[in-house]
Amino acid sequence: MFGSLANMQPRQLAAQILQFALVLSTAFMLWKGLSVVTDSGSPIVVVLSGSMEPAFQRGDLLFLWNRRQETQVGEVVVYNVRDKDIPIVHRVIRRFGGGSKPLQLLTKGDNNAADDTELYARGQTFLDRKKDVVGSVAGYVPYVGYVTILLSEYPWLKTAMLVFMALTVVLQRE
Amino acid sequence: MAESKISPYNLADLKNTTDDALGNYMRSLGFQQNNKTTDIKLAVGYVGCIIAAAAFVADYKLGWEATKTWTAVAVFAYMMLNGFYSYWVYFVEKGLVFEGSKSGNSVSISSKTNKHEPTYYLTITTNAPPTDPRKIQAPFPTWFTADGFFVAQPFQQWLASSVGVIGDADAKNAMRDQRDELASPKMPAAEASMLEDIGNGIAESTGFEGKGKSGKRSKRK
Repeated sequence: MFGSLANMQPRQLAAQILQFALVLSTAFMLWKGLSVVTDSGSPIVVVLSGSMEPAFQRGDLLFLWNRRQETQVGEVVVYNVRDKDIPIVHRVIRRFGGGSKPLQLLTKGDNNAADDTELYARGQTFLDRKKDVVGSVAGYVPYVGYVTILLSEYPWLKTAMLVFMALTVVLQRE
Repeated sequence: MAESKISPYNLADLKNTTDDALGNYMRSLGFQQNNKTTDIKLAVGYVGCIIAAAAFVADYKLGWEATKTWTAVAVFAYMMLNGFYSYWVYFVEKGLVFEGSKSGNSVSISSKTNKHEPTYYLTITTNAPPTDPRKIQAPFPTWFTADGFFVAQPFQQWLASSVGVIGDADAKNAMRDQRDELASPKMPAAEASMLEDIGNGIAESTGFEGKGKSGKRSKRK
């Protein structure tokens, strides 16, 4: 299997490695391109819990849009708890400010009994639209997000997938 | 070079093995390979990858908000480079197997195969004499055994006898003597000298009714 690699000229080997590097680079740049277009740090998010049932199930893939700053009550937003990297998907139930004043939001999961005040950081009682919110949900695809859930729960899957991809692309010559 | 076996039914393997052999053969004849086309492709591709890597590191270290504008610039630059790379590979480098020159003769060879057809098509462009690109073809079984082993000699003979500059560089495989012989057959030396003798009246030509000096058949005096 690796014999074909050994017999290659150095430039050919460089070209094969480049093809794999381009696959990774293009995937990453497409992701960043989507970020730039939607103005969101994380334009595609997976639902991890059942707190928004029956609207969203665990494993749903959500598409975010962050260019509408005037978020209304009833919109579903994704936000990061300050200093934590966990995105939470909940609905806006109250808003304060807006217009010339900074917009502040209170959120609650449809399937939760209480609002999110408990979930916010210590001393925080509302979300700042500009700083905390990643984007509002513009659309979704069900079930597809389970792949991401699997990859995060079994990290060795990521390495295995990457190694498999690398071998297929580098050893293949069309 | 280790003799490796391929599947003789796999067209991609046949083509790739032949392409590699072609490059090796040309280099062994003393053709200096011109790598400009490949180098441009590699340069553009790797610069794009470096930009992507830089964007990745910046995003990892500084987060999204801080790097927003630069990421936008990087994405645009990457798309331009990737577009150029795709154009280069598809249109300029298309099928190119070998490009090089030897003692003033430059040659550019690109190869092609058609789906489900075991034929090797080559397009050759040389600068001496300046001619349009020449196309030659041969079936793969010419230089592959039924088991899938590559045999160099028939391949080299086909190339040397079909392409002028290659034949010039490789006289043995060009078989120019055989070619000239087929075009205008020369008589073997023994017969040639005998004809000369007959012309000079020294030898007798059998089955030929004529006035030979040694012939006693002639009754006329």
